[in-house]
Amino acid sequence: MGAYFQNIKDGFTTAFEGMSISFATMFVRKETVQYPEVDISSNATIAEKYKGSLMGMPENYRGILDVDLSLCTACQICQKACPIDCIVIDNIKCDKTKLSDGDGSPVLNRFTQKEALKTRTVTRFDINAAKCMYCGLCEKACPTSAIRHTNQFEMNRESQEELILRFVSDDVKATAEKRASEIEAEAAAKKAAKAKKAQEEKAKEKGAEE
Amino acid sequence: MTSALKTEYLTINMGPQHPSTHGVIRFILKTDGEIIYECDPDVGYLHRGIEKIAESVTWQGFVPYTDRVDYVCAMNSNLSYCMAVEKLMGMETEIPKRAEYIRVIVSELNRISSHAVAIGAADMDMGAFTPFVHFLREREHINDLLEMACGARLTYNYICIGGVHNDLPPAFLSKTAEFLDHFEIVVEQINRLISYNQIFIKRFANVAVVPPKMAIDYNLVGPNLRGSGIKFDVRKDKPYSVYSDLDFDIPIGSGRAGTLGDCYDRYMVRVEEIRESIKIIRQCLKQIPAGETKAIVKSTIKPPKGHVYFRTETPRGDTGYFLYSDGKTSPTRLKIRTGSFTGMSIIPEIARGVFIADLVAIIGSLDIVAPELDR
Amino acid sequence: MDATLISIGLDPLTAKITSMVIISVIVLLAFVTIGGILTLVERRISGFMQSRLGPNRVGPQGALQWVADGVKLILKEDLIPEGADRKLFRIAPYFCLVGIFGTMVVFPWGKGVIVADLNVGLFYFISITALVVFGVLMAGWSSNNKWSLLGGMRAAAQIVSYEIPVGMSLLVPILISGTLSMGGIMASQGWLPWEWMVFKSPFAVLSFIIFFIGSLAEANRTPFDLPEAESELVSGYCTEYSGFRYAVFFLSEWANLFVLGGLTTSVFLGGGNLPGALEGFTILSVLVYLAKVAVVIFVVIWLRWTLPRFRIDQLMSLSWKYLLPGAFIAFLGQAAYMLLTQHTPIVQSIIAVLMFLVFVFVLIRFGLKVRVSINEQRIPVNSPASNVS
Repeated sequence: MGAYFQNIKDGFTTAFEGMSISFATMFVRKETVQYPEVDISSNATIAEKYKGSLMGMPENYRGILDVDLSLCTACQICQKACPIDCIVIDNIKCDKTKLSDGDGSPVLNRFTQKEALKTRTVTRFDINAAKCMYCGLCEKACPTSAIRHTNQFEMNRESQEELILRFVSDDVKATAEKRASEIEAEAAAKKAAKAKKAQEEKAKEKGAEE
Repeated sequence: MTSALKTEYLTINMGPQHPSTHGVIRFILKTDGEIIYECDPDVGYLHRGIEKIAESVTWQGFVPYTDRVDYVCAMNSNLSYCMAVEKLMGMETEIPKRAEYIRVIVSELNRISSHAVAIGAADMDMGAFTPFVHFLREREHINDLLEMACGARLTYNYICIGGVHNDLPPAFLSKTAEFLDHFEIVVEQINRLISYNQIFIKRFANVAVVPPKMAIDYNLVGPNLRGSGIKFDVRKDKPYSVYSDLDFDIPIGSGRAGTLGDCYDRYMVRVEEIRESIKIIRQCLKQIPAGETKAIVKSTIKPPKGHVYFRTETPRGDTGYFLYSDGKTSPTRLKIRTGSFTGMSIIPEIARGVFIADLVAIIGSLDIVAPELDR
Repeated sequence: MDATLISIGLDPLTAKITSMVIISVIVLLAFVTIGGILTLVERRISGFMQSRLGPNRVGPQGALQWVADGVKLILKEDLIPEGADRKLFRIAPYFCLVGIFGTMVVFPWGKGVIVADLNVGLFYFISITALVVFGVLMAGWSSNNKWSLLGGMRAAAQIVSYEIPVGMSLLVPILISGTLSMGGIMASQGWLPWEWMVFKSPFAVLSFIIFFIGSLAEANRTPFDLPEAESELVSGYCTEYSGFRYAVFFLSEWANLFVLGGLTTSVFLGGGNLPGALEGFTILSVLVYLAKVAVVIFVVIWLRWTLPRFRIDQLMSLSWKYLLPGAFIAFLGQAAYMLLTQHTPIVQSIIAVLMFLVFVFVLIRFGLKVRVSINEQRIPVNSPASNVS
């Protein structure tokens, strides 16, 4: 019999307790972020229109990948690091250039701390954003920080094909290929000249001997 | 006239698309009206072949996949795998101290958020939606913190072989401390809202009792095992990382509202583990040293030939990673042992003779997560 | 209205029928609107209780959300599952509708604003709402879905069980007022809180609590929403319904909420009674009445978004072991109480005021608890102060 009345009492008191909490919640800040109106891209911008206590996106947010081709050395490390093969890179041999930032300071290789050197040019750099799982392994593997995650996450496209991000345009590819063939031709010419010279010298030596 | 009416069991298909089998789990129920006579769990609807995938990706490349093994507590999965690989490579001692502490902080934060989801989902299955949303609101803060640390909200890929990918941002520690002060009070408030509610207690108490012996026989792990009153926690009994330096208790079931090992015990063990995790994180915030966060690891690792089995305590219990290496760039065989699977295996036994509504309570109290179950 | 119609040249019979049709259409539309708005109100309130905003995009503060939902539901394809009992499946929603809308006849919107003040008004009210159980049972049976069937069975068992304590507890107001007519019951109460039926005696309080719990169960509201328990039975008896028929179920469910509030208000909470000086202002009376109904509805919504659900056996034991004995005690106790105090109305008044004071005390306790909870939730998290390491 005691348990019977205890049940009634507990039922009422705990329901009373619960109701006080759900009632109280009505008067405390609402956490909903009204997304398109509120700019969530950073802690500073989210505070403009939003009264709740959630944070904006952090600086290191892993959004859609972006590639800075001027820094890319076409080393293909990101392609190898990617666990799901969503990065495809083709490259050709090209000018040997030392990489520099916009202000002219040299870019250092992240791992060796030596000046990064560009010997090849990418002719194809495709990232399949539909396949990408935004794990960040490519970003961590890149020696020159050419590939990195942006804060961008809105990625509505009409077809899957458009979700493949192509960073090297056909023009650039054509220019690069042209330049590569020039270099190749130059190299071939040089080689031929060198060979010719060597031959001539050989002939000369022969002549001198005779 | 003798009765021409014949009775037969009602076969009901519960799932894979049923509101209370979160994710895709299926039960084939044979019921006598509302009372379950036989319950046959059907697993495999979320099988993605992650263990097979491991054989074709690099050792580091598999870390993002461990996020997907159990996306409710991805940090803990990351930790289990990375520590297993480290053990295989024999570099456990090389991990910087700061990295170890960061690992413990983030995985305990993730444990809190996982338990919050587990408890909240159990509440929601009992028909109380508000506590679930309150728990999700608090979990959102944890997600914010972890996002701050690693840039992703759910599939973190933060812990890597040899440490953690990057150091914590400067404001992380102070923000975490502030969150814990907030959460400690609020979680108690949510408990007052639901966990101590008489209707809720009556729904969970004395339902699906798992006696200690049965729990061991069925190989239950984690909070489900401790709910049956067995004091076993990998963090305490086989300490890894820096857990041996930390002071915390292991909550066990004690028949709070009825019988030892009922749904309510399992539920309350999780509630109390949240408090213990808060305690652990507070100690870590105090003790965390400065220094490096990653040991030097080659970009392509080839662990020596051999095999290793490493267990850690994830929110769903003792998770073990078995790795077999042939000295190549990818594992030759990888096997994951998870807590949800053993939890699922006990359901036919304890769901006999209970109401359909109780089966929902059982699923909620065992905290079964479909992706972890099927992998 | 008849007179107006006759004056424009209709013969008396046609005028009568026309006026009846017009009135029914108005009442029906009013109910549809109320049901629709209540869905929105419930969603907004539940949102606020969960630190959310709720629907706020359609119209100002989401005010037109219910119209959009209704239009969407009506435009949906009306599916009838294969193997369903088509006749029953089609007719079932209208049983629910009629069961709820039938109460309109005796619904006292305020003092003197009532379609038909039947002398068995309360009795009619209880019996017409019982039609809902037929609708639910038919829906569950005819859907050819096992979850629906379980939902229908649960609903039948639940509603039939809870009619008994509800009916028993309503005997107390009937004892006090000595009439079954809704207008009469309302007239037997005053406008001051301690003149309301609920505070008239300790037994009236008991009967009010039992009545309230019981009618929650009859209206299938949490913590008694077992017939459509989402996490257990998918969607209960209306799992297979779609389109307009689902809208009808939906509407009658929320209209039921209004009926529940209306009955509680008129029987226990003083209805639309006004102070003597304001007697005769019908509009004011209706407003007072609606305000009280709104409070009751808020409490019901609030309970729904706070409490978990019962299990079917606990539900039955609550009805038969707790509410029914309680209702008997309330009835017998009230009879004895009236017998003892019938010659000392002053004692009755004092006890009524005391009951009211107890209620005020509970409210203050509640307010204090709410303040504690608000302060707890306001503990800062992610505050600007924590940005520095």
